[in-house]
Amino acid sequence: MKAKELFPDAQELRKGRVRIELDKEQITDALKKLKENGYTHFVMLSCVDWIKEGKFELVYHMWSYEYKEHVMLSVKINRDGEDVVSNRELFPQIETYEREIHEMFGVNFVGNPRLGEFILEGWPHMPPMRKDFDTEKFVKDLYYKIPEVNEE
Amino acid sequence: MVMEIVDILEKILILAGMVTLGFAIGMLFNGIARKVSARIQNRVGPPVYQGFIDVFKLFGKKTNISHGWIFDLAALFSVSGIALAFLFLPVAGYSMLSTDGDLFLILYLLAIPALGFALGAGASGNPNAAVGVMRALMSMLAYELPLVMVMVAMMVYYNTTSLANIVAAQANMQWAFFIPIFFIGALVADMALQGMLMEKPFDIPIAPHEIATGPMVEFGGKHLGALMLYKMMGTVVETTLFVDLFLGGGVVLSVAQYGWLAYLVNFAVWFVLILIVFLIAVMIDNVLPRFRIEQALKFYWKYDALIAIFILIWIFAGVKI
Amino acid sequence: MKHEEWKKISRIMSKRSLWMVHFCTGCGAMEMPPVMTSRYDMERFGIFAMATPRQADVFLVTGYLAVKTLKRVVQVYEQMRDPKYVIGFGSCTINGGMYWDSYNTIKDLSKYIPVDVYIAGCMPRPEAIIDSFLKLMDMIDKGEAIGWQKYRKYYDQYKRNQKMAFEYRLDEVKPIKEDDKNES
Repeated sequence: MKAKELFPDAQELRKGRVRIELDKEQITDALKKLKENGYTHFVMLSCVDWIKEGKFELVYHMWSYEYKEHVMLSVKINRDGEDVVSNRELFPQIETYEREIHEMFGVNFVGNPRLGEFILEGWPHMPPMRKDFDTEKFVKDLYYKIPEVNEE
Repeated sequence: MVMEIVDILEKILILAGMVTLGFAIGMLFNGIARKVSARIQNRVGPPVYQGFIDVFKLFGKKTNISHGWIFDLAALFSVSGIALAFLFLPVAGYSMLSTDGDLFLILYLLAIPALGFALGAGASGNPNAAVGVMRALMSMLAYELPLVMVMVAMMVYYNTTSLANIVAAQANMQWAFFIPIFFIGALVADMALQGMLMEKPFDIPIAPHEIATGPMVEFGGKHLGALMLYKMMGTVVETTLFVDLFLGGGVVLSVAQYGWLAYLVNFAVWFVLILIVFLIAVMIDNVLPRFRIEQALKFYWKYDALIAIFILIWIFAGVKI
Repeated sequence: MKHEEWKKISRIMSKRSLWMVHFCTGCGAMEMPPVMTSRYDMERFGIFAMATPRQADVFLVTGYLAVKTLKRVVQVYEQMRDPKYVIGFGSCTINGGMYWDSYNTIKDLSKYIPVDVYIAGCMPRPEAIIDSFLKLMDMIDKGEAIGWQKYRKYYDQYKRNQKMAFEYRLDEVKPIKEDDKNES
């Protein structure tokens, strides 16, 4: 069955591209439902920081080889440390995306045992992909202030 | 008494001269091989004397890194071992340390520097070096089987184990190469030589792109310089062994008849012959990719060794009939 | 022969035989094959790519360096044997290049290891690489390529800068700042 039939409130952005907005409790069921109905390819999990609304938007991208259709499941959670359930049992590759989002945005995925240091080594500051992390100020305060080697 | 001392001094001088000559030819061969490869690949290539520059540069580097005294001595062990092997070989019909040049002894002596190589690599503790040493020993096991069988066939044919006698029997252009059965034997031995020289397709122990030059991975500076000297001298020793076995060792004039002129001509002919044998190896090296270790084993034990067994049976049957 | 003359000969020898280890984690890996192969053929100057840092004389750092890569660069640099030379390749090693405001790339390589020659450009042409090697040869001949001596002499300063970058904080500098305050 197509995503439009599975989820009546899905909006079709254009041909072959469907967007579904869900609550965070529904996400595991929705992924399972799509997986059983031909959407077998989990493409990726991405995260958007909506700083004015105070929300993180997690987007689960799915693809069906049968219908040639790209489904985006969007979940909004609060920015201030709301937990999300990990879906690594359904698609094992989600684990890596969850680790990355945990490192870059600080979202906590309950049930993922490998959340920890991933790409950054020994990063002591705020997760760097958050909008309230001022990259330019950080760079000017750190790298440009490291002193030249004094040859006296 | 005085005459004896002068004799010994003269002998030592000749030995030192020969070793220096061997190293110099090895370095020159390194440069020639790189120049020839460059020309085959349509490049200009380094100057022919690049080998000298590289070795001198390596000996001029500082040794601020070491992995213990076995590591330090291993390179020296290799160089002295290969120099000893060179002195036991009849070069252009002229034997320096032994007048016999026993084939078994030479095979043993050729294993000594490889052992030093393995010791140094083991002392460095690098996993790549361990893999490289394993591969080197495996490929040694592979190429020595056909080589030794061809050698045994020659020993039976000439009825001697002395390399000097084999060279003497091939005087006056009676080269083993021109005997049909040993022509095939020479091809088999040339394939084994390819493995001995560690040229492609049998450069499995070195393999710079896979295991980062294998046993040499931790060597640098003076250690690497000594190892390069060993490898360069190794090319001279191994090609000389081949030339002694199949091409009459480069002896064209008899020393008894022509005196010192014979030495000059013989050494020149020997140089040209080992250069040709080496260049064939370099050209094969340039057109083939690398084997995996099991492919090399299969090649040597399935095809090379089979032909060698055929030669061995032929010779035994021929002698008995 | 005197010591000085030996030094001169060894300089001439090391100038004509520069073995290189290249660190292509950033960009620039594409510029190396033409330099090595028949189009530009750097082997005619005696430059040869080696497989391990132990055997190499020249360290070619190409492109940008994340802090994580810098750790590896420092390791590779310290594994090389003296005398060793460093060539910084591309704008990213000079001032960060197009990554000037990235939170995770270092901006100036010479703060962490001594660099003898820089190549500007994004990306530099293969001719520029050969030109930098010729410049380095010239410097070795005159005895100006002394980056490895600098690293020994100012080891504590280089280590301090590396530590600051690895830990993403300037804690080490704080005492100096307090001194400044006291003076004012």
